[in-house]
Amino acid sequence: MTDLTYDKLKANFPDAVLGKETFRDETTITVDAAQLLKVSKFLRDDPELRFNLLLDVYGVDRRDLGASPRFATSYELYSIPHNRRVRIEAPLADPAENGKKDTLPAIDSVTGVWGTANWLERETYDLMGIEFKGHPWLHRILLPQNWVGHPLRKDYPIGGEPVNFTADRDNPRFAHLGKQIMDTPTFHSELEDMDAEGHLVVNMGPQHPATHGVLRLAVELDGERVISCKPEVGYLHSGFEKTGESKRYEKFIPYCDRLDYVSTMSNNLAYVLAVEKLMDVDVPKHAQYARVILVELQRIASHMVWLGTHAMDVSGTIHALLMYAFYWREQILDIFEMVCGARMTTSYFSVGGLRWALPGAFEDSVRHFLKGFPEVIKDFETMLTDNPVWRTRLEGVGVLTAEQAIDLGVTGPLLRAAGTGFDLRKAQPYSSYDEFDFDIPTATEADSYARYKVRMAELWQSMRIIEQGLAKLGKGPHRTADRKVALPPREEISTSMEALIHHFKLVTEGYKPPVGRLYGIAENPKGILGFGIISDGTANPYRLRVRGPSFVNLQATDLMARQGLLSDIVTVVGSIDIVLGEVDR
Amino acid sequence: MGLDLNKEFSITPAAPQEKDGAMGFVMTNLSELVGWGRKYSLHPLLFGLACCAIEQISAGMSRFDIARFGAEVFRASPRQADLLIISGRVSNKMAPVVRRLYDQMLEPKWVIAMGDCASCGGPFSNYAIVQGVDKIIPVDVYVPGCPPRPEALFYAITRLQDKVQKFGIGERKG
Repeated sequence: MTDLTYDKLKANFPDAVLGKETFRDETTITVDAAQLLKVSKFLRDDPELRFNLLLDVYGVDRRDLGASPRFATSYELYSIPHNRRVRIEAPLADPAENGKKDTLPAIDSVTGVWGTANWLERETYDLMGIEFKGHPWLHRILLPQNWVGHPLRKDYPIGGEPVNFTADRDNPRFAHLGKQIMDTPTFHSELEDMDAEGHLVVNMGPQHPATHGVLRLAVELDGERVISCKPEVGYLHSGFEKTGESKRYEKFIPYCDRLDYVSTMSNNLAYVLAVEKLMDVDVPKHAQYARVILVELQRIASHMVWLGTHAMDVSGTIHALLMYAFYWREQILDIFEMVCGARMTTSYFSVGGLRWALPGAFEDSVRHFLKGFPEVIKDFETMLTDNPVWRTRLEGVGVLTAEQAIDLGVTGPLLRAAGTGFDLRKAQPYSSYDEFDFDIPTATEADSYARYKVRMAELWQSMRIIEQGLAKLGKGPHRTADRKVALPPREEISTSMEALIHHFKLVTEGYKPPVGRLYGIAENPKGILGFGIISDGTANPYRLRVRGPSFVNLQATDLMARQGLLSDIVTVVGSIDIVLGEVDR
Repeated sequence: MGLDLNKEFSITPAAPQEKDGAMGFVMTNLSELVGWGRKYSLHPLLFGLACCAIEQISAGMSRFDIARFGAEVFRASPRQADLLIISGRVSNKMAPVVRRLYDQMLEPKWVIAMGDCASCGGPFSNYAIVQGVDKIIPVDVYVPGCPPRPEALFYAITRLQDKVQKFGIGERKG
């Protein structure tokens, strides 16, 4: 098989391309770090390649992999015009090995090529300790500014008890943490070119009713007009990646629930798909259809949370809509509870299928939901679509064109509302989405109102998919027969010695995937969720990378809020639809 | 008996149990009366952290209806709130903010640690998360669950109400 990307790179930059690896149809091209910028520009601009979407930037500490040099940065690229993916890796030597203790490994920043690299590189700097030369504002993003060390390095302990915290207010260790939050507003104005003298710098959050969690915005105002709006994230940073590296593959599934906690099924699906690809497991059709139904129900539930909170934020008088939206979300949560016993944190998908078989009443209850729900969408549309308050506050607010969105790595409904019909369920179908007949709703206005229309249209499409899924579902095994990854059925354990051994091995040791790396992506309600896994052949992932769509989408806030009114920030944040658990990870 | 139109309309003196304002009298002591008033008018802070915050919102919605326990008025300002529900994991970066919110609340004030993360760190035993919010602020009621159902939050609120009832008028927490 010829690889166009590799061949073209090799022909144009013979001395920059160091090697190529292919694992499970994913190509990793190793590039000389010194020539990364040239290669990146070529990858983005060459008409045959056009890798215009930078999905992810992350660092890898290869200390225990036996690879030299110690660090590497990885760039996950996606070409929307050609529907193709590639991963670029740039190895980086650790200056500490040559006696330079306090020098971080450094590489050129690609922020000039893909705007989205800004936050992703800051995160890599923060957690992995890789310096990006030419980055516009390289500061810690998730951890407090005065943090010492880089947690994702292999020589950094995972932590936990004991923590350096106490209720004792006289403790000097607590005092500096208390001071840091007081310093931060001026800190922003000094470093991010905010004019604190001529303009008013307002702090919004992290405790604020309209920021949807613990998001903090530093807003520079000229009267009511927003000059700039800088989000500060990290107030919910929970160390998912570090935790994942200390757990077995199967045990990370419950953690996925806590990423984007209003779309747990979708997170589960993205993760198990990545591990299934790594383990090379086939999932029975029945389980695939069941997954599609549940994920689309989850999409509706997630959009209900968005709609209710957005409507309440934008106009307090539509508070009733929040009640209605949550009422219908409860109907979906009831189905989830029936399926797996939990309302929100479901953990229902396991590697190789579903954790348990679907209950007998599943199909009927989903049909019951489908019967009632169309009327509700119509009610919502009657309440909002031509509501003058709603339209005035949404139309023309937070415009993000397709070029800007792709440059900033923005995906999901935001990108589709800018006229780009890019949806992974169509572009690179997974879990049998190619057998379903549905449309990708798009709009062209690229403002908040267009996003509202796109999400409402997605509700209808999700219902179409669920209806087809119910027709296809049928009966069948809910889990793969591959005993390497899936537990044997309970009956078998008491009759078959082999089954007992498999059960014992799986529970005590877990499964061990082959050495390799991949990056699994799936279309979540909020955008593309990505899980990057590097396996060293043991039962724990060596490196686990999570790309939260909300994190990347949130970066566009500044651009969308500029030159708008202060009150429009609420509209902008609401229409991005963020969940802080996923932003901060 | 016919209606006498010439007679002026008047309310007959009612029995004390009827709701017409003529109350009769009730014997109590001030401390109990104030405790009774406080426990049925808890004002939680409009503050959510993580997954539990979504269940906290659900608790306020029509199905569960936190108003049944007199705690539905979520105040966005800590100056107007007397109940802080820590609904989710508290990171090292967030800890000073939580502490400050608690300090900004006026006395008397109470804290519910909702969920495993707020109670003890939950599944996140790592560098980023404070292993239990009681390390930085005093907690009155802990709610287990990941996340707890809204009913569990209500149980915590009723337990807290018992505590509030017994709380003295002049007592201070901080």
